[in-house]
Amino acid sequence: MHFTIMQAILVGLWAAFCYSGQLWGIYTNRALFISFGIGLILGDLKTAVIFGATAELAFMGFGVGPGGSTPPNPLGPGVVGTILAISVAKLSPAAALALSYPFAIIVPVFMNIVSTLNASNMGWAKTAIEGGHYQRFKFIANIQLYCYAIFAFVLAFTATVSTNALRDFVNAIPQWLIQGFSVAGELLPAVGFALIMSTMLKKEYIPAIVLGYIGVAYLKMPVIGLTFLGIALALNNYYQKQKHAKNNDDASEQDGGAEDGI
Amino acid sequence: MAFDVDTSTVKLPEKPVLTRRDYINTTLRSYYLQNAGNVSNLQGTGMLYSIWPAIRKIFKNDDDFKKVAVTNLEFFNTNPQPYPFVSSIVLAMYDNGASIEDTRAVKLALMGPLAGIGDSLSQFGLAPVFSSIFASLALQGMVAAPIFFFLCLFGITFGVRCLMGYLGFKVGTSMIDTLSDRMSAITEVASTVGLTVIAGLAVSFVKVNLAWQYSQVIKGKTQLVTVQSILDKIMPFMLPVLLVYFVYWLITKKHWTMYRIVILLFVAGILLSVLGVLKP
Repeated sequence: MHFTIMQAILVGLWAAFCYSGQLWGIYTNRALFISFGIGLILGDLKTAVIFGATAELAFMGFGVGPGGSTPPNPLGPGVVGTILAISVAKLSPAAALALSYPFAIIVPVFMNIVSTLNASNMGWAKTAIEGGHYQRFKFIANIQLYCYAIFAFVLAFTATVSTNALRDFVNAIPQWLIQGFSVAGELLPAVGFALIMSTMLKKEYIPAIVLGYIGVAYLKMPVIGLTFLGIALALNNYYQKQKHAKNNDDASEQDGGAEDGI
Repeated sequence: MAFDVDTSTVKLPEKPVLTRRDYINTTLRSYYLQNAGNVSNLQGTGMLYSIWPAIRKIFKNDDDFKKVAVTNLEFFNTNPQPYPFVSSIVLAMYDNGASIEDTRAVKLALMGPLAGIGDSLSQFGLAPVFSSIFASLALQGMVAAPIFFFLCLFGITFGVRCLMGYLGFKVGTSMIDTLSDRMSAITEVASTVGLTVIAGLAVSFVKVNLAWQYSQVIKGKTQLVTVQSILDKIMPFMLPVLLVYFVYWLITKKHWTMYRIVILLFVAGILLSVLGVLKP
């Protein structure tokens, strides 16, 4: 499979748009969405979307790192992993995820460099405003956006034009190691799930966890069914809580009455 | 004050000049908030950029405008989804003649609570629920799932921004308390639904397959029995549950960084595969 320069440019533009969405807060920088566009451009939507979904679940909790650290970023696997999944025959989504994982680690390194280089932004902006250079201020106010877009374009363009090299590289890896990557790729989603639980989980949510487990492990429910199950539990909790709060109010009123009596 | 700018001489507007259009425009400009992100003033430059056209309209005198603009460059950091609440309040205060200092105090006071509300809504509520639902639909072969995923998240957060921009314009700062109460109920419902779905997907999506098998002679016939099938009878998905719990424990109790955990799983996955313990 060989991709044209035109395709590489389109993939680059798509990646630049998706990654800019991280700054805009519009959720385009998720693996599922990135893979969709790349699959469309490279002509294998099905493989791309299945890989994207695999990476999406693995990166689910990666919005924020514990303690404010910059977590691995789905842009890397979203771009490179999708290209690998499409171009290398018989590569499982899990193996493609594991192989493209290093790119998830390069992205935050780049992000930290840019926001550090941009540290004098406030000073530049002040000088521009006080000097009346309002056009220059506009440029300064978008500088991080430009850097992000250029970085994503270069990454995605380079990855697409070097598909053959990437494929040769992957094909040169011995079969036992590829199998090892597959196993590792299937273990990796545990990080995403555990991470999201570590930020959300409180004792009162344990019933939700158990219910979700029962739904899948014993009842083999599809995910929409699970959602309804969750809604039932959530509404039940909500109404119980309201009832509880109301009872408490009544009880405290009675207490007040008794005290008045004394 | 971020810079020593004397704002006491700034001429405040005598009567409001902003129209509904200006508020809508500023709310849409909230997407610029993080375009100049950096380690020193975070969203400060973006905050100013989002309210730029509106404050130019309010402060006609160019010197005054420059002073107000520069004071708004200072450190600012909140969640971008409910941010229009801040920009609308700031504009409403300037436009109705509140002092630069008072407006700044309100702006800085809103930063923290809105970050809390926004993060719990978008990062822990909406994003995980929609990503688990649509990712699993995509795995079942629905190729349009990513589009619906995007439309749902973008649509809801766009609605949140518009609502917040309107509320900020309409009501004063007292609103933030009732909003917090209401939000905690919504967050609880979203978290319960989210965790139910996430727990279900976690066990079915994380795969830990034992490769071990042994032969057994039953009624003169030799049969291969996999250890995995026995485990599945005891408790389905036992190993994935244990793995997720183990990683959860590493994060919460051992405070491992994600990079360490990822490296651990990588090495463990490859080693256990090579040793013939696990198979894909």
